[in-house]
Amino acid sequence: MDRREGTRIAVELAGSSPIISSVGNPTFDLVGVADRPENFYVWNSMGMASSIGLGLALARPDRRVIVLDGDGALLMNLGSLATATMAAITNLVHVVWDNGGWEITGAQPAGTTFGVDLATIARGAGFRHTASVETPEDFRHTFTAAMADREAWFIAAHIEPGGATKNRPTKTLTALRDRFMVALNAP
Amino acid sequence: MLEVGVARAGRHKAEDAADWAIKLLDAFRREDVRNLVFLPDTVMGRLLALAEADPFFRLTAVHREEEAVGIVTGLFLGGQRAAMLIQNTGLGNSLNALASLALAYKIPFPLIASLRGELGEFNPAQLVMGRAVRGCLDALGIQHFTLSREDEVEVVLDGALKTCFTAQEPLAILLSAQLTGWKDEQ
Repeated sequence: MDRREGTRIAVELAGSSPIISSVGNPTFDLVGVADRPENFYVWNSMGMASSIGLGLALARPDRRVIVLDGDGALLMNLGSLATATMAAITNLVHVVWDNGGWEITGAQPAGTTFGVDLATIARGAGFRHTASVETPEDFRHTFTAAMADREAWFIAAHIEPGGATKNRPTKTLTALRDRFMVALNAP
Repeated sequence: MLEVGVARAGRHKAEDAADWAIKLLDAFRREDVRNLVFLPDTVMGRLLALAEADPFFRLTAVHREEEAVGIVTGLFLGGQRAAMLIQNTGLGNSLNALASLALAYKIPFPLIASLRGELGEFNPAQLVMGRAVRGCLDALGIQHFTLSREDEVEVVLDGALKTCFTAQEPLAILLSAQLTGWKDEQ
């Protein structure tokens, strides 16, 4: 699967659900596919997308919160998976675009290239619903189930290396913050 | 499977909470700071037990201090105020998130850190971060106040929280061992 295609599917099925996108390509692709106000773009802070998603999910039990993460970023903050379990979170859909390494810095291989299995890690951290998908069809099917469910999901979506885009969100970070909070009707 | 009923404050008892902890939580109540995102130490444990006894507060434990910055940010984006509670030695684990997330996106929250490595320290490995904590905060431009005496807790906390939410930035409150006590160990 191509990450852009996966992002398109996620946005299509997200409806008005908030999406937190990790630093780099997950953010650049999301802004390219649909620059919606319910997107919160992380410009740096590698690894923080899963923690931001968890905090938002705690604050807003009325919404399903989507995190579009990268495999390198998640490996930086694996503890956040256990934290999500300890917080008894039910409304989080954590997607990891897994291209087997740090694509944006020159495709250096990381964990999954060497046999690390992120879905197994998530299961071990307490996620009851985990999936590892390869094709757009599988991703669509799994993401649909995750969005319709009332428990937390973790989806490792394997994507092809490459495909960086030139799309960038605005660099006025408080504008990104405020637009997101207005869209979520947060005071 | 989901052990939501487990006591998050561990062995500590609410009735053992010191006066400073009571006043600190009162200040949080006044400013609607409902979420306590923490990595525990002994000092914070007694405050957490007191908070856990009040359904006003939600306690969320993390495994590394940086996570707390992310969670507090997510809570704020969703419309809820939160505080981050750590030991000062863990500040180093959260510096990039403080810089690139909380300060860059202007996310306001009180960062409460108990101070190891200053008064009454027995552990040599705590000393360096004990000396460095204010320098780290100053380098990031995070305003900080140190609480040393019981009678200043209320006024400093009230004023600091008001300034924090006006500034829309994290603000640090350092809890001196003069206030919280230090360990007997030699």
